[in-house]
Amino acid sequence: MTIQFKPEETFRDDFSYANSDAAVLRFPFPFPEDTYMYSVNIEPHVPGGPSPAYDNPFDVDEHYVAECAERARVLEQDPSRCKILPHMMAAQWDTLELIMESFATSYPELFSLTREGTRWTWENRPLGIRDSFTFGDASTLPLPPFEYITRQAQGDFTLQDQREDNLFIDGGMVTTQADWSLDFDVGMTFHQWHGPVPLAHQKGVFDRALKFLLRLQFGQPVRRLNWTMTINPRLDTSPENYPQWGPDRTTVTAENVGRKVHLRVELQSLFRLPRSNAILFGIRCYLCSIEDLARVEIWGKRLHRVLRDLHPDIADYKGLTRYRELAVAYLSAFDDGAALPTGTAPRQSILPAKG
Amino acid sequence: MLVSDIKSRPVYERLRLDRAARRHLVIADMSRPLDEVIDGLGTATAPIDHWVVAATSAVDARPAVERADSGSRVEKRAFRASAHLLDRLSHRLARETIGLRLYAVGEEGFIWNVARLAREAGMEAAECQTAHAGSLRRDVFCVHCKTITPGVTTSIAACSGCGAHLVVRDHFSRTHAAFMGVQADAEAPGEYAPAEEIFP
Repeated sequence: MTIQFKPEETFRDDFSYANSDAAVLRFPFPFPEDTYMYSVNIEPHVPGGPSPAYDNPFDVDEHYVAECAERARVLEQDPSRCKILPHMMAAQWDTLELIMESFATSYPELFSLTREGTRWTWENRPLGIRDSFTFGDASTLPLPPFEYITRQAQGDFTLQDQREDNLFIDGGMVTTQADWSLDFDVGMTFHQWHGPVPLAHQKGVFDRALKFLLRLQFGQPVRRLNWTMTINPRLDTSPENYPQWGPDRTTVTAENVGRKVHLRVELQSLFRLPRSNAILFGIRCYLCSIEDLARVEIWGKRLHRVLRDLHPDIADYKGLTRYRELAVAYLSAFDDGAALPTGTAPRQSILPAKG
Repeated sequence: MLVSDIKSRPVYERLRLDRAARRHLVIADMSRPLDEVIDGLGTATAPIDHWVVAATSAVDARPAVERADSGSRVEKRAFRASAHLLDRLSHRLARETIGLRLYAVGEEGFIWNVARLAREAGMEAAECQTAHAGSLRRDVFCVHCKTITPGVTTSIAACSGCGAHLVVRDHFSRTHAAFMGVQADAEAPGEYAPAEEIFP
């Protein structure tokens, strides 16, 4: 398998990011049914499923090189996006080991890891990195181990320490987030950092999810999908930079809505780490314009119904209120109201031409 | 959703002396009689230190010894300002050994600053109790520029760092000892509701 990287594409300013037809077809579409409500939609993170995005522990796609460059830009402006409390050093090494081993196994033509005792050599060909270091000795790496490896991966990562029958968000690399702040939330308990989410607390979603995660076993990772919408293919929709991206929400018109409004899906994965007993939480962000999504017949119809009937509190929390009607009106043209099968697979292997 | 049931918002109970303690340290942001702020004084055996903020330069933090109803020793100190007290507290916690129980009572910004020092000194969460008393005004952390604006009483307040008009959210960080502030008119500059006095 070869991946055609697009190193020059951008997630800010001129927003040159775009999905190839193959990338649209592998998009992890999040709606198996015509309506959406919060639930504990956790399943084993095992290879396979309705999209190849589920085939590996950490998915690498055509946006890999450009996303790593975008992360470097965000960190250069705001290093507080990567923050780890001092007691999490074992979890940092656990993370480095897990990502390196997974990448090297999943994509041997792109990454390789050579281990001789604690003497390791890591090669990342797409980014042109080759480093030899001593596992466990942070002074032998150019950056702390967690930052070093998460700069070479797509998606955000947080580290949860487990103690007092709770999970504490005691570190993370967060540059592609849907409007939450690691710097503000660091050190919080599970219920505290989920505090602002509406409705789900009352439904007991977080009580059940926490109970489940406290029993998460090493070697048996799990995953779930979450979603929101973003204007323009912008990865950094942080609260820190809300003054920079907030105005985008007022730029949607009936003419540009299909190109501007993007469905933003997070493929969230959770791994128990072996030395630290911490949990690594991967939050991998996929962006696709609703114009491209509507080229998949079943997705265009379903997205129309979900958005049209979405609970207003959820629409508000996700920040959709200003442009939701425009998006629903745009998508309604693709929806004949026919009954749809349950599931998220695209059920077609080629896309009609754009526009 | 300015006042809501957000789960990061602390819920307080009355302070109660922990009978497992070897020493108690009760800290208040103003002069508050001990028996009004904490239960269990009648059966206390371990010595009690009682520190308060007097808000005047006329005091010098010298100890004054009293006796509680139970007969246990109470050593009281008055500090010139909360900064003066917190500075002394850091010094004390750096030298403490196991068995101390800390109790903080007062406005939220104050009590969570005490809790933060306790955490940084390695105390467990259960070894430091907090209780709210007095004004509901909030310390607000600007998520954009990281400045903490103290004593906010209104739904929207200007950040003392970057000047943004911040919506004071109900999301509370114990690490920053502050509520989150997010620019109210980021999407459409100038478009925000008038500020209302809601944290008197």
